[in-house]
Amino acid sequence: MELTRTEITERLREILLAADDRNRDVVAACTEDSRLVADLGFTSVSMLYMVIAIEEEFNIRFENVGVADFNTLGEVIDYIEAQLK
Amino acid sequence: MNKQANKAKPVSFRYLFYDFVKLTAALPGLIWLRPKWIFESPAARKRIRGGCVVIANHAGFLDPVYVMFAIWYRRHRFVCDKLFFQGKKRWLFQGFRCIPVDRENFGMDSMRKITGELRGGSLVSIFPEGHISQEGEGGLASFKSGMVLMALQGKAPIVPVYCCQKPHVYSRLRIAIGEPINIMERYGSRPSLPQIEGIVEDLRAKEEELIALVNTKRRIKEK
Repeated sequence: MELTRTEITERLREILLAADDRNRDVVAACTEDSRLVADLGFTSVSMLYMVIAIEEEFNIRFENVGVADFNTLGEVIDYIEAQLK
Repeated sequence: MNKQANKAKPVSFRYLFYDFVKLTAALPGLIWLRPKWIFESPAARKRIRGGCVVIANHAGFLDPVYVMFAIWYRRHRFVCDKLFFQGKKRWLFQGFRCIPVDRENFGMDSMRKITGELRGGSLVSIFPEGHISQEGEGGLASFKSGMVLMALQGKAPIVPVYCCQKPHVYSRLRIAIGEPINIMERYGSRPSLPQIEGIVEDLRAKEEELIALVNTKRRIKEK
């Protein structure tokens, strides 16, 4: 499955909104440089929730990575992109 | 309630150490602790079958023993910090088939290991406070939410257990067991994060109900 970075970002936004629509504005404005904890307000559980949702959405597996290994949304997109190739 | 059978055999080489300790410590433990089981309702009295997440308060180092007495007829797989698997104490935690997790950087490998155990019909025990509580007798620290994700991914119910610390050496161990809570029946397989926060609060409230139940029974006994 070939997906562009923009498409991956869009799908990630959908996942984030489905998970928690309380910070809709922040998610809508997020970019690849957005920091997961500082900007998007992620906790360890929301990281884990997102990883589970990404695995199901993109049909990939997060191997040997912990939730603290990702700092920005761009790093998550990089990982997804690498797994999809 | 989870209907799948427990994959663990009655006699298994993997659980040789666990079963040996359980058998040899059962009688001295019963004499020393004299456990008193208090059930929230007739539904809580039913034996737990299949995969299940047991959550309990954590007030002391003996809590894993108390939890093992609470649901004595099943093997428990305790979720522990990976730090316990280092150094000389490593053999003990490995022997008891505990599941190591990295609390600072929880990985999907740990999650898959736990959910695999749950789907395979094992009983996974967790202290949701994450550490020994400093709240004193009957107090609970805030609960971590990871157990809810584990139960959802493992398609397993959550059984709340409260183990009352023995105030004196000669006191009885009082254990309260709540009804199994099936999250998926209430919220579906993918609740949102605010819903998960609500579930965690409900579980903590349930644990407080069990504390109140134990205290009420104790007061009735003392009168």
